[in-house]
Amino acid sequence: MKYVFQFGIVWDHLPQLINGAWLTLRLSFGAFALGFALALLLAFLRTSGPKPARVAVAAYVEVIRNTPFLVQLFIIYFSLPAIGIRMEAVTAALIGMSINFSGYATEIVRSGIESVPRSQIEAGQSMGFDRMQIFRHIVLFPALRTVYPALASQFILLMLGSSIVAAISAEELTAVTNSLQSTTFRSFEFYFVATGMYLAMALGARLLLHAFYWAVFERGRPAAAGWAR
Amino acid sequence: MKRREMIGAAMTGAAGLAAAAAIVNTAQAQTPPPAVAGVGTLDRIIKDKKIRVTAEVTSPPFGILDRSNQPDGSEIATARQLAKDLGVELELVQVTAPQRIPALLAGRADVAISSLSITFDRAKTVMFAPPHGALSIVIAGAKRVNIKSASDMAGKKIGLTRATLEEATVPGIAPSSAQIVFFDDIAATLQAMISGQVDAAGMSAFAAKSVADRNPKAEIENKFTVRTAYYGAAVRPGDFDLLQFLRTWVFLNKHNGVLASIYQKYTEVPLVELPVM
Repeated sequence: MKYVFQFGIVWDHLPQLINGAWLTLRLSFGAFALGFALALLLAFLRTSGPKPARVAVAAYVEVIRNTPFLVQLFIIYFSLPAIGIRMEAVTAALIGMSINFSGYATEIVRSGIESVPRSQIEAGQSMGFDRMQIFRHIVLFPALRTVYPALASQFILLMLGSSIVAAISAEELTAVTNSLQSTTFRSFEFYFVATGMYLAMALGARLLLHAFYWAVFERGRPAAAGWAR
Repeated sequence: MKRREMIGAAMTGAAGLAAAAAIVNTAQAQTPPPAVAGVGTLDRIIKDKKIRVTAEVTSPPFGILDRSNQPDGSEIATARQLAKDLGVELELVQVTAPQRIPALLAGRADVAISSLSITFDRAKTVMFAPPHGALSIVIAGAKRVNIKSASDMAGKKIGLTRATLEEATVPGIAPSSAQIVFFDDIAATLQAMISGQVDAAGMSAFAAKSVADRNPKAEIENKFTVRTAYYGAAVRPGDFDLLQFLRTWVFLNKHNGVLASIYQKYTEVPLVELPVM
């Protein structure tokens, strides 16, 4: 099969591609922030909450992690209007991505919390900390440091998975690419450039997340603590 | 995550892109013009005793999945007729609407028979056989939505499917205040219309009738006709042997009434007089 590549047309449409990539980034970081906040709450309930809450969170996590993201999106965008809940495609995409991410992040944060030695929690209790204080000051920080690499990987998956929201007409990078290739018929060129943009965003996000890790967890940490790693 | 690993990953990624770009540059330099690209496709079809045809199955009545999940519809029947007349086996290559032309150009299919309306833009990329059917693009929507003409779309949300004739025609006639949103397949566009996520949607008149019949509660009706178009089979640029066969094939099946009976069977309306191309 012979094919003549014509990249000129891609550069003509670069502003549209950049707009799409910008929405991809906004959706990804927005869903990360919302989903992570939700995951912190759920992981707290899962490990330290009352029994019914633990069961409810466990059920939530299993449902989210064992159903396709596309079906979750369709329920939010196409099915909720039947009971009067109607939202824009981008809003539906953000909510769907946040909920999906929270399911995975809850499980990751929970494993971090459970990795904190029992003796440290008991030390906190003996100093008169209440449950919330122990969670905030003794458990959460080391727990997040432990699971940070897993969370960072999950974020990259979230960003790459955002391409699915094109299906409900959210005009992110994949949707824009689909529209452009369908009107110009230059599918190789557009998908090739979109792939490069996803790769650049993913690698950029990893660098950023790494810098964040260093700033929050490594900087100013006494060298002697190195043994704990 | 160690810093060294990060930098390593970034460098590997960059090197991969550079290598891929180099391959593309080489390909650009060495590839001859596409006019000679597909010589002998008809010979190959006859020799292999197999023709590969695109099948788009979310577009009633042209292509659907029947109760046993097998492709069916007027364009599928047309593809079967083509394979029968060639005396070869038919391989259906399932595609979504936006993939119809890319699948053909990428060589996944030998011919696209998926209600592709004949347009200037498409004719710049693929070669069309004479039309074997006709369709109307309409704006359809629920009864409560007040649209009677193109200007009534002002301020309304209109759903369209990417890479369809409606995508090519509706944005041109819609007022600038109309909000147009795009879906990847016709099923999603129809779902958006039924669930009220869009006020109205562009589609073929047949799709509108089919969705209205199957969802009487949604009270879907045709608002106005955007354009009537003729659709035909498409082949890769340069496949003149296959194109010439298709010309003859359309002529013979027009003459013996086979095209008209396929059309009548699936659309339940008689086939209009097809113009000569």
